[in-house]
Amino acid sequence: MRHLRTFFRVIIETGLGIKRSGWSNWLVVSILAIALTIFGGILQVTMTMKNVVAAFGSQLEVSAYLKDGYQPKRVAREISQIPEVQLVEIVTKDVAWDEMKSTFKVASLANPLPNTLHIRASSPEAVEAVAAKVKLLSAVENIRYPLNVARKINEFRHFIEIAGFAITAALSAATLTVIGNTIHLLIESRQREIEILSLMGVSPFYIKGPFVLQGAAYGAGSAAVAILVLVGVHIYLDPYLTDQLVSLAPFLPRNIEYGMWQTFGVMLGLGVLVGAGGSAWTSGKYIKI
Amino acid sequence: MIRLQNVTKDYGGRPALVNVNLHIALGEFAFLVGPSGAGKSTLMRLLYREETPTSGSVFVGGVNLNRLHKRQVPLLRRRLGTIFQDYKLLPRQTVFNNVAYILRALGVEEKEVAKRVQSALSVVSLEHKADAYPDELSGGEQQRVGIARAIVNGPPVLLADEPTGNLDPATSLEIVQLLERIAERGTTVFISTHDTNIVNTLRRRVIYLKGGEIVSDVDSGVYELEPNLNV
Ligand SMILES: Nc1ncnc2c1ncn2[C@@H]1O[C@H](COP(=O)(O)OP(=O)(O)O)[C@@H](O)[C@H]1O
Ligand SMILES: [Mg+2]
Repeated sequence: MRHLRTFFRVIIETGLGIKRSGWSNWLVVSILAIALTIFGGILQVTMTMKNVVAAFGSQLEVSAYLKDGYQPKRVAREISQIPEVQLVEIVTKDVAWDEMKSTFKVASLANPLPNTLHIRASSPEAVEAVAAKVKLLSAVENIRYPLNVARKINEFRHFIEIAGFAITAALSAATLTVIGNTIHLLIESRQREIEILSLMGVSPFYIKGPFVLQGAAYGAGSAAVAILVLVGVHIYLDPYLTDQLVSLAPFLPRNIEYGMWQTFGVMLGLGVLVGAGGSAWTSGKYIKI
Repeated sequence: MIRLQNVTKDYGGRPALVNVNLHIALGEFAFLVGPSGAGKSTLMRLLYREETPTSGSVFVGGVNLNRLHKRQVPLLRRRLGTIFQDYKLLPRQTVFNNVAYILRALGVEEKEVAKRVQSALSVVSLEHKADAYPDELSGGEQQRVGIARAIVNGPPVLLADEPTGNLDPATSLEIVQLLERIAERGTTVFISTHDTNIVNTLRRRVIYLKGGEIVSDVDSGVYELEPNLNV
C-alpha cells in the first residue's frame, strides 16, 4: 500500500512537471510524433510488401506470351514435355480479346493481344527452372511470373527499409536531443528544490522518477498522435490501395493484412523507450544526489 | 547519539576540521559556537552526510557514516531533522505541503499525513498559516515552518546550522526556545551559531570551535567572543 501511494505521488509530481513545462510539451510531442509517424508508415509499407511478396511466392504459374505465327497448341505440347511442368493452359488471343472486350467495353480495334500459355510448375522451387526453359523457346516472345515481380518488390522494399530506418534513426536522435533539453531545463529550474528534497531524505527514485515518467509520457502521447494519423491515412487510402494491390496481384486476398496492431505496438514501444530513455539519461547526468 | 572520532576534514587548503572528538548523548541539547570560518557548517554537513571526513569516523545513532552506502543516505536523513539558516522551503508549495512532502514521498496515508502535519504545525504555532506560501511569511515564521518540517517524521536528532542567522534578536530567541521545548520531549538538539545572545540566555552545553579545533566544551556555558579557556 505504502509503495502504491508513493508511486501515485510520483505520478502526481509528473503531472505537475508536465504542467510546468508549458509550450515545450508541444514541441517535444510534435517532433516525436512526426518521427513515429514516419517510422510507423515505413513499417506498414514494408510489412504489406512482405505479405504481398509471400502471396506471390506461393504462386506456381508462369505466363508465356507467344510471338504471332506460332501455333499455341504445338508450343503447349512442347512445353508439357518439360519434367517440372504439371499443366499448361492455353488462352488464345481471340478468347482473351473477347473477355477483355466484355469486361472493359473497348471499341472494336484490331486484336492487340498475344496468344498466352499459363504454365503451372509442379512445385514452388521448380518455377524458376520452368521459367528459364520456357524463355529459351523461339516461339516465346516474353514471360511473366510472380517470383520475378516478387523479387523486384523485395529489392524496392529493402531500399525503403534502409532509407526509412536511417530517417527514423536521425529523427530519434533529434527527438532525444529535444527531450534531453526539455528535461534539462526543467531540472535546472528545479535544482534548488531537488537539493532540498535530497536533504530531507527523499529518495533519488522519488526525485528522478517524475522526470523519467514525463519523458515516457511524451513518448506515449506522441505515439498516440502518430497512430491516429496512420489510422486516418488508412481510412482514406485503404479502399484505393486494396484495388491497386489486387490488380497488381489478382491472387491476393481482398482483406489485405497491413500489420496494423503490430505496427502500433512497436510505435508505442519505441516512443516510450525514446522518451523515458532520453529523460532517464538526462536526469542521471544533471541530478547529482 | 552523535559521535566524532579523530575527525579531520580537508577541502584542499587549511583543514576545516582538525582531529575533532565529540560526543553528544541522546536527548542532549548543545550549541556549537565559533567565529565564521571555524568549521561549524562543515561539522554539521558531516552529520547529515553532505560531506565525508578526510579521516576519522562519524557516528549518528550508532551508525558509522563512513560505511553508509550512497543509497542509505536518504534513510539517514529521514532520521535526522535538519534546519537551515536559509530555511530551504519549497517556494511553490504551501506551508502544509512543505511539511507534508516527506511523509507523502514515503507513502504515508493522507489522513495520517494531515494529522501529523497539524500536530507539527501546532508545535510551532502556525496552524493558521497552513495554506500560506513561504514568501508570504516573515523570516521567523519561515524558520518555524522549517522546524515543523524537521520534526514531522519524529526524528530522534535535530540539527540546526545557524538557524537564527537571518533573524532579529527577539525572533532568534523565540526560535531557540522553541527548539529547547522540542528537546524537552527527548529529542537530541544540536545547534550551530555565532549568536552570543541566544547562547548566553539559554546557558546550555557550549562546544567552542576555532580554526577547526574544539577549544572548549562546557555544560551550562556561555559564549564570549574571546573565550576564557580555563572556564
Ligand atoms: N565546500 C568547500 N570547499 C572548500 N572549502 C570549504 C568548503 N566549505 C567550507 N570550506 C572552508 O572550510 C572552512 C570552514 O568553513 P565552514 O565550515 O563553513 O565554517 P563556519 O560554518 O563555521 O563559518 C572555511 O575556511 C571555509 O572556507
Ligand atoms: Mg556556517
